[in-house]
Amino acid sequence: MTRAWRMAALAALIVVLVIALTPYVWLFMTSIKSRLDALADTPVWLFTPTFEHYPKVFLDKGYLPMVFNSLVVAGTVTVLSLAVGVPGAYVFARHRFPGKEDLFFFFLTTRMAPPISVVVPMFLLFSYVGLVDTRTSVILAHSTFNLSLVVWMMRGFFEDIPREIDEAAQMDGHTKAGMFFRVLLPIAAPGIAATAVLCFILSWNEFLYALILVAFESRTLTVGIPGLVTPHGTLWGQVAAVAIVATLPIIVFTFLVQKHLVRGLTFGAVKG
Amino acid sequence: MTVAFRKVSKVFADGTLALDGLDLEFEAGEFVVLLGPSGSGKTTACRLLAGLEQASAGRIEVDGQDITDLPPRERKMSMVFQNYALYAHKSVYDNIAYPLKVRRWPRAEIESKVKEVAGLLDIERLLKRRPRQLSGGEAQRVAVARALVWQPDICLMDEPLSNLDAILRLQTRTELKRLHEELGTTFVFVTHDQEEAMTLGTRIAVLKDGRLVQFDTAHEIYHRPASRFVAEFIGRPAMNTIDGGIVDGIFRAGDVALPTPGRDPGPVVLGIRPEHIVLHDSPREDTLDFRLDVPEIVEPDMLLFAACGEVALVVRAKADRPELRRGDALHLEFPADRLCFFDPDTGARRP
Amino acid sequence: MSVRKRVDRLLDKGVGPLFLAPSVLLLVVLLLGPFIYMVVLSFTDLSYALPGRDGNFLGFDNYRRLMRDDPVFWESFRTTLTFVFGVVSTEFVLGFALASLLFHQIQRRRFVLTLLLIPMMLAPVTVGLMWKLMLQGEFGMLTHYLRAAGLLDPQTALLGDHRLVLWIVMLVDVWEWTPFVTLVILAGLLSLPREPFEAAIMDGARPWQVFRDMTVPLLRPILALVALLRGIDAFKEFDKVFILTGGGPGNATELLSIYTWRINFRNWDLGYGATSAFMVYLVVLILCAVFYKAIYWRAGGGQG
Repeated sequence: MTRAWRMAALAALIVVLVIALTPYVWLFMTSIKSRLDALADTPVWLFTPTFEHYPKVFLDKGYLPMVFNSLVVAGTVTVLSLAVGVPGAYVFARHRFPGKEDLFFFFLTTRMAPPISVVVPMFLLFSYVGLVDTRTSVILAHSTFNLSLVVWMMRGFFEDIPREIDEAAQMDGHTKAGMFFRVLLPIAAPGIAATAVLCFILSWNEFLYALILVAFESRTLTVGIPGLVTPHGTLWGQVAAVAIVATLPIIVFTFLVQKHLVRGLTFGAVKG
Repeated sequence: MTVAFRKVSKVFADGTLALDGLDLEFEAGEFVVLLGPSGSGKTTACRLLAGLEQASAGRIEVDGQDITDLPPRERKMSMVFQNYALYAHKSVYDNIAYPLKVRRWPRAEIESKVKEVAGLLDIERLLKRRPRQLSGGEAQRVAVARALVWQPDICLMDEPLSNLDAILRLQTRTELKRLHEELGTTFVFVTHDQEEAMTLGTRIAVLKDGRLVQFDTAHEIYHRPASRFVAEFIGRPAMNTIDGGIVDGIFRAGDVALPTPGRDPGPVVLGIRPEHIVLHDSPREDTLDFRLDVPEIVEPDMLLFAACGEVALVVRAKADRPELRRGDALHLEFPADRLCFFDPDTGARRP
Repeated sequence: MSVRKRVDRLLDKGVGPLFLAPSVLLLVVLLLGPFIYMVVLSFTDLSYALPGRDGNFLGFDNYRRLMRDDPVFWESFRTTLTFVFGVVSTEFVLGFALASLLFHQIQRRRFVLTLLLIPMMLAPVTVGLMWKLMLQGEFGMLTHYLRAAGLLDPQTALLGDHRLVLWIVMLVDVWEWTPFVTLVILAGLLSLPREPFEAAIMDGARPWQVFRDMTVPLLRPILALVALLRGIDAFKEFDKVFILTGGGPGNATELLSIYTWRINFRNWDLGYGATSAFMVYLVVLILCAVFYKAIYWRAGGGQG
């Protein structure tokens, strides 16, 4: 690679990074701009920051419970999906049985189901059993796609563990279940952690299910956003503040989990 | 055509000094072997010649032209890789044809040339197969066919036989020799196997720690090794080397005392090949007594591992004395004209 | 057999069904249930807006209406197809280019890549919000600079122009998902063995020939995977378009999911809405089967 090429490549990379990050930076700046600065005709890049929007929208407007809702929902979905999905993934990784790949395909389709198609009947069914506008409804809805993510991702991680470990554990006297809990799980812990983070992110970011299944009490943070964007005018400082808070865990988690992202997002097809 | 390395050095990004001022020159038609232990720089030298790596210092010349900065495709050299590096997604035919396709040869000519080379390497029946359907030996032939199909000036081979089993390795060795004689292409062959080097090479370049130690015919290397390292590296078993000193015309090392008339006094390393030590039935004036440690019968010879005090050596003799047992006395003669002397510090051989 | 022994037996031989049953059960209840109900609904006239429409059986009337009497649905289908093909092909080309760039960039690659991933890790709603902010008609940052550069006239707001708005929405999607394509293709490039490429160079191939004859064929399974994954996800797109344009102006950006949402949760025409939902499901299911064939074949069935 000659020097000229290297310079050009570096320039291209910088341009790409600027394009990728500017919108987010701009959103953050909007969340700490005064109303005047945010709505100025000419975009303002240098200004005195103000944090007034954050307490206004979270405390005065009562958006803080939404943060809590998002946390509870995402956390519960993650725990539930892992508890149910990880043992299932183990079975796919180690056992042979008729119809195994067909069952696996079924798990795939659950991940692919269009949310709009699922939420319509789900909304009606949940309202019949009185589950609408509860966190539980959203938790159940999110589990539909997270469960298969867990199964798909963890199957790959379990398959990476050599079978000899299983066999050694069984020679040591464990039952299969005991071996799973005492030997395999600790070894698969990094994979479980990565899967958990991905689960959390997907649930935290989810919008459509939360929008339909919840009316007021159990609103998650993402649903709070359109509420502030009205045809009569949008409080940009506040809505930006909400959005930024919604992105905080994501930014942190992205850095933590980027090593396993490829595997998770391609359903284990690519190891990355 | 003359190929020359002129003071070529290569330092890798992590600081490893792979080649240290290599000076090497050879002519067209030779079968040059780059021989050395791992880390000696032989593969690096090969890859520098190919153009796959850039030299940190020095020049590589072909017929006086500096080709150091020339990209591989302009160097008229081809390469056979240790793992064959076949194109998994192409058929064997397409693999071999690729160099010609890249050079825009007409289809008919490609076909006839590929068939010709396939015939030369006895792989015509494999042309429709895919690389994953080939055995190691077959894959290796395809790799060689691909390297020869466009008649390069030089064919580089980076340990091509290392992944083959022993029998296949010997067979292929002979085939390569035959190919060289038939085609007359210049071959540069990298290996760590000294037996391979000795059989194949017209001249062998022995490398150690990035430096050229000796560049000579097999015969010279064997009988007149330039250094202790060469002596101990070549031959199976290697030359015996004994550290000691000459005082008053007698070489002494431990309990061993050997007359060495006409040699300068001082510390020295004595060397003699196992097959040059003569085993006598009874002690003579010119024999030394060694005690047999382990006899190894390798028909039609036997290797006798013997020691005299702290001095240990190996003797290669005819396997006509099966009664020898551990602890027996051996009466060994060390013919003066077979002795080599090496400098204890530099390892260089003294004339 | 003692109780203790029975439990042990269960924990050993019964592990298969024991560990797998909960997930299968959960999914069947949560997905198969609604799926069946959706199909049932699609044959009724259920509506929360009109009186008397409490779920009477209609036969295939809803389907006939969808096929023949609903140009808006088909308009939406066309819009969605344009969207899907447009974004997938663009993300493909850009993603491949970026992946190649990053492949040769050895220093701090991980760090650059992580930053690059932010667009796709943010909630799609947030992505929609960010771009809505920048493209706002009066004070939007991008609107201002485009007008200053003479590319946009002062009367037009990009999100309000029915000729341009679909392209804008597609642009936002490209911004959001190109990093994903880049990530996967980069992983693929890094997994390719180095030696055959050196062999190609020694055989005399120029860089573009190496790309055409080696890189692309060897990456084909991964490229197919990415194209299909993005295709399916693009088909399901809802969140950011909802926030950016709500489907408008008019129907200009009313993708299938938004159309279905409108029928169900604005018009509350739930029976017909279920029909629409089922059609969307069907298309995705078919794409899904193609996808699975592609990756399962690639993995060589080496599972378990």
